Amino acid sequence: MTLGWIHPGLVLILGAWVLPLLRGRIKRAAMILLPAAALALCVASTPGTHGVVRVLGQEFVFGRVDATSLVFSYVFSLMACVGIVFALHVEDDSQHIAALTYAGSALGVTFAGDLLTLYVFWELMAIASTLLVWQRREPAAVKAGFRYLLVHVVGGLVLLAGIAIHWSQTGSLAFGDMHAFSGGVGWSLILVAFLLNAAVPPLGAWLPDAYAEATVTGAVFMTAFTTKSAVYVLIRGFAGTELLVWLGAAMALYGVVYAVLENDARRLLAYHIISQVGYMVCGVGIGTELAINGATAHAFAHILYKALLFMGAGAVLQTTGLRKLSEMGGLYKTMPKTLGLYMVGAFAISAVPLFSGFVSKSMVVSAAGETHRAAVFLMLTMASAGTFLHTGLKLPYYMFFGRKSDHALGRRGIEPPGNMLVAMALAAVACIAIGVFPGLLYRHLPNPVDYAPYTLHHVTSTLGLLGFTALGFFLLLRNLDPEPTISLDTDWFYRRGAAGFEKWIQKPLARLESGTVGGICDFVIRRPVLGAASLMRRFDGVVDSALVGIGRSTQSLSRVLKTAASGHAQHYGLFMAAGLLALVALAMLAR
Amino acid sequence: MRFLERWLEDPVRLSRLKRWFYVGMVVVVVAEIVVPGVVGGDHAHFSFEDIPAWGSIWGFVSCVAIIVVSKLIGKAWLMRREDHYES
Repeated sequence: MTLGWIHPGLVLILGAWVLPLLRGRIKRAAMILLPAAALALCVASTPGTHGVVRVLGQEFVFGRVDATSLVFSYVFSLMACVGIVFALHVEDDSQHIAALTYAGSALGVTFAGDLLTLYVFWELMAIASTLLVWQRREPAAVKAGFRYLLVHVVGGLVLLAGIAIHWSQTGSLAFGDMHAFSGGVGWSLILVAFLLNAAVPPLGAWLPDAYAEATVTGAVFMTAFTTKSAVYVLIRGFAGTELLVWLGAAMALYGVVYAVLENDARRLLAYHIISQVGYMVCGVGIGTELAINGATAHAFAHILYKALLFMGAGAVLQTTGLRKLSEMGGLYKTMPKTLGLYMVGAFAISAVPLFSGFVSKSMVVSAAGETHRAAVFLMLTMASAGTFLHTGLKLPYYMFFGRKSDHALGRRGIEPPGNMLVAMALAAVACIAIGVFPGLLYRHLPNPVDYAPYTLHHVTSTLGLLGFTALGFFLLLRNLDPEPTISLDTDWFYRRGAAGFEKWIQKPLARLESGTVGGICDFVIRRPVLGAASLMRRFDGVVDSALVGIGRSTQSLSRVLKTAASGHAQHYGLFMAAGLLALVALAMLAR
Repeated sequence: MRFLERWLEDPVRLSRLKRWFYVGMVVVVVAEIVVPGVVGGDHAHFSFEDIPAWGSIWGFVSCVAIIVVSKLIGKAWLMRREDHYES
């Protein structure tokens, strides 16, 4: 590796393993120092190509540093700092290691200059984030973690297949603008894998499923890295792809619709991640300088305010044990600081003037306007109203105020530990600072910025949009009361559909195995060996007993083989996936 | 933060709060209509943005549409009992 550039992600991934060796104050200091060091390294990075490693005649680029990767690396490492402060009180090293590895791999994806390096960090991110779900150590979380892993393993395989095909067709692993290969199989597979991680419907149901089950502190990390690193790679490879414009705009509304129906506080916020990432995906699709700036700026602002919102909901979950809106209410009396900080995040996501969302989201919306896409413009502004409706009004109303205000419940809450409040305050300060001084963010964007968010027209029309959304909310309040239900999403296919399929296929499959496969086994292996053994027995006692031994062992082997063929679809899926992986690896290494 | 309790649990103050909310709405609408006349309407990308108080109208329409349409889809199709996946 080139001297003079240390990979910030590697500092987090390797440094995390020091934590179990430390105790008490020193450990907490190290927890903060690691992401702070990563942030400092990102800020100190100079544009250029660093960390080039040659293995097996291939060039791996670990450090592609330019304006785009830098701005994402700033926010990823900043987020790691905020997240780790929020998790400072957690006495579980495995969670901290998983969280820092996750953040480090997101930085790895950001700085990756070739597709294989990208793939390695991509998979590491999936594994580390799965641990953050499992570490809640409840049956529901374990199951959700498995579903999350299943989806991301499939996504990873699709990405790997895409990379292999792209490589075999172009002979290059370099990761840059993929426009020239548009429509090819490799291009499509890579795009699908990226869209899966960006939670674009119908590939996005894993997000609310897993994020609502993760640990209180783990979920805060999860909101930041997977979807936004996907936005980053989309900017890198697929800027200006028309399909993304429409997927993004549809996705912005899709999240809003589900948020109306949602009763679980963190699931509601998770659906709003889908909605907000919709703006970014749409911006990437529009692909103009303003749109790419907008997608980047919105990713930056979004990571901070969404983490703040998840920290607020997490604080309520931790101190009251409540996650359903239909059971909450009146917490403003006992958790006023949490409420105040949550509302900063809520105003930021709703794009209220002087908060971060106002200066970032409007860039994407304006880009839709400048390119004369009326339908997209209307969809995005409608989703804006929906965002304020849920995150700014519905959730705080039912969580902190609501009809249950007089209920004993309201007195149950207490403010969370100091470190959680400090982390929320850090994120809140960032949300306001970006909103008041947009130049702080704009100067780091990939393209030169010629955009003024604070025009009289923009401020008044935004206030009108938000004010009348609030009016509509209060008029229709009775219709919005949260109901104790869940909503079907595309995860149905692997939660219910797969089970049904398995049931349907199990019997014929079992019959096929015990009949045909068992018969072939019997005919090809057991009988000839036994037959040969009995033939030989006549001639030689020594050979005889040896062959009987072989015959017996073959018999038991075939019995073992028979049990290995279990008739469970997921086992076959696993074998198939492993086989596919082995084939692809063979194809790559044998070139 | 005691002030929140004072404002929300006293009916007189709550209704005063509501009145200020409505006054705010009126101010916003007036501002939306007046501002393009003062600073010029070069900001708009689409003709529908020139409709007076467009932001307020679209905000209200969006809010109502989102609630009504989502609830309809939810009731007709998507919403299930909480133990749907366990049963």
